[in-house]
Amino acid sequence: MPDPRPPIIRFDQASFGFPGLIALKDISLTIYDGEFIGVIGPNGSGKTTLCRAVLGLLAPVEGHLHIFDCACDELRCYHRAKIGYLPQKGVVDRNFPVTVLETVMMGRYGALGLFTRPGRKDRDIAMEALTQVGMDSYRDNALGQLSGGQQQRVFIARALAQQPKVLILDEPTTGLDITTQHNVIELVQHLHDELKLTVLLITHDINMIRSRVDRLVLLKTRLFAAASPAEVLKPEILHQVYGKELVITDKDLVIVEDYHHHH
Amino acid sequence: MLDLLAYDFMQRSLLAAAMVGGLCSVIGVFVVLRGLAFVGAGTSHAAFAGVALGYLIGWPPLLLAIVFGLATVWITGWVEERGRMKLDVSIGILYTTTMALGILFIGLMKSYNAEVYGYLFGSVLSVTPEELSIIGVLSVLVLGLLLLFAKELYFIAFDQEMAEASGIPARQIFFLLLTLVALTVVISLKTVGAILVFAMILIPASTAYQLTHSLTALTLYSATIGILTSVAGVLISALWDVPSGPTIVLLATTIFFIAVFFSPKRVKRARLVHSH
Ligand SMILES: Nc1ncnc2c1ncn2[C@@H]1O[C@H](COP(=O)(O)OP(=O)(O)OP(=O)(O)O)[C@@H](O)[C@H]1O
Ligand SMILES: [Mg+2]
Repeated sequence: MPDPRPPIIRFDQASFGFPGLIALKDISLTIYDGEFIGVIGPNGSGKTTLCRAVLGLLAPVEGHLHIFDCACDELRCYHRAKIGYLPQKGVVDRNFPVTVLETVMMGRYGALGLFTRPGRKDRDIAMEALTQVGMDSYRDNALGQLSGGQQQRVFIARALAQQPKVLILDEPTTGLDITTQHNVIELVQHLHDELKLTVLLITHDINMIRSRVDRLVLLKTRLFAAASPAEVLKPEILHQVYGKELVITDKDLVIVEDYHHHH
Repeated sequence: MLDLLAYDFMQRSLLAAAMVGGLCSVIGVFVVLRGLAFVGAGTSHAAFAGVALGYLIGWPPLLLAIVFGLATVWITGWVEERGRMKLDVSIGILYTTTMALGILFIGLMKSYNAEVYGYLFGSVLSVTPEELSIIGVLSVLVLGLLLLFAKELYFIAFDQEMAEASGIPARQIFFLLLTLVALTVVISLKTVGAILVFAMILIPASTAYQLTHSLTALTLYSATIGILTSVAGVLISALWDVPSGPTIVLLATTIFFIAVFFSPKRVKRARLVHSH
């Protein structure tokens, strides 16, 4: 059954790589406007590469990638500004002198374009984004003084301040405590529901997102599945990617079976 | 001291020092934030080699200084972009090569040339009216461009890939920054000299870095420190007849250590340690 919503990202037998290495091979995948997509796969399976490709930071070595109906090598800055991005956690320089509000304001810069100074309207948008992630009372704090989870919220707010159509979050919960992990995922779900954003959420925590996403994309250099969680989370599919130790319990949890259990 | 101010040369040097101090300290903010400190050092030595070559073959020294400075930063930026080599390695190689060239050019000169040494150590008290107007025009140009692209420059300093991902032409802005660093170095050569210009770029910004968590405040503090130490340095140098370049730099360094000592960032950390 064809999806009635317009496609927003379209991979057409696309491969991406670095000198001497293919990170993603022969990907064909269409993502529709307003979808909530979970992207899973082992370390090094090309999840981050997929994000960077959608952002136009990496051109396909083979095949095509269209975003907003525009070939990605023709992707203009204007289009990129429509995609909010939370990079996989890198090292945040705790000494970098920048306040929370200044960080979120950076989300406005691309949308504003060159030669335009951010004004009151942009401040309001940034403050609204901070309110959405529950960090508005920290606006004048130094970014470096916040905890990892709080910084993650600020970076989500920066992505929101772009007023994006697409939100790409690369492992937003890594390194957070379980309550904060849950809160961040709730927040993403809320943003998807309320703002009708197309969301690409990369995570290793399959159990946390399985009941929330419309589709799960399973990667390991190639695309192994892109379907509803019920269709993807089957032993015979997961085993191809994660190995045979992975089991699904009767409560539908995906876990790694204890090797010694059997012996 | 008031009699001193009546002299034309004194007014010129104070003006030159204020402009160079302001310019270096403002671009220094972006240099420090983007981690380009070493590039500043490399560029000033490359520019000096250009000056030496100019005197050797009878071409305008500042023109060749710009050519050498720009070539250095562009090669460095290109190498970093390619990810072939770490920035500090490539600039280290260019730094020593251009320094060797500079010494070679001086050695090839038949006679001792005091003017060349002026570019090495700075001689703000001998700035001519033409030089002053060149400094003025170029300072306005560089500061204007910094102001025009301030938001993009801050963003790439914070996170260049993130900036690019969110729709900033990050690579072009990075090369603009490198170009402005090279121009600033050349503008400042005559006043503070090739060796000390690096300090003028680095120290006021690093001092301000100790004092604030806000980008805007950082720039204002840095500019204030840069201008004040430069002007004070020139006055001290004229009053007590000591070389101006080192005086300016030592003043700035003193303020830097005071700032490190009283830094709110440091104080906070110390409190945390005590509370355990
Ligand atoms: N900048 C790069 N240069 C060279 N190779 C790279 C680069 N970035 C990623 N790779 C390679 O591409 C492959 C896919 O990497 P990618 O970062 O997309 O994996 P990932 O699925 O995000 O992994 P993780 O779960 O660890 O974040 C890996 O083999 C990696 O070594
Ligand atoms: Mg990754």
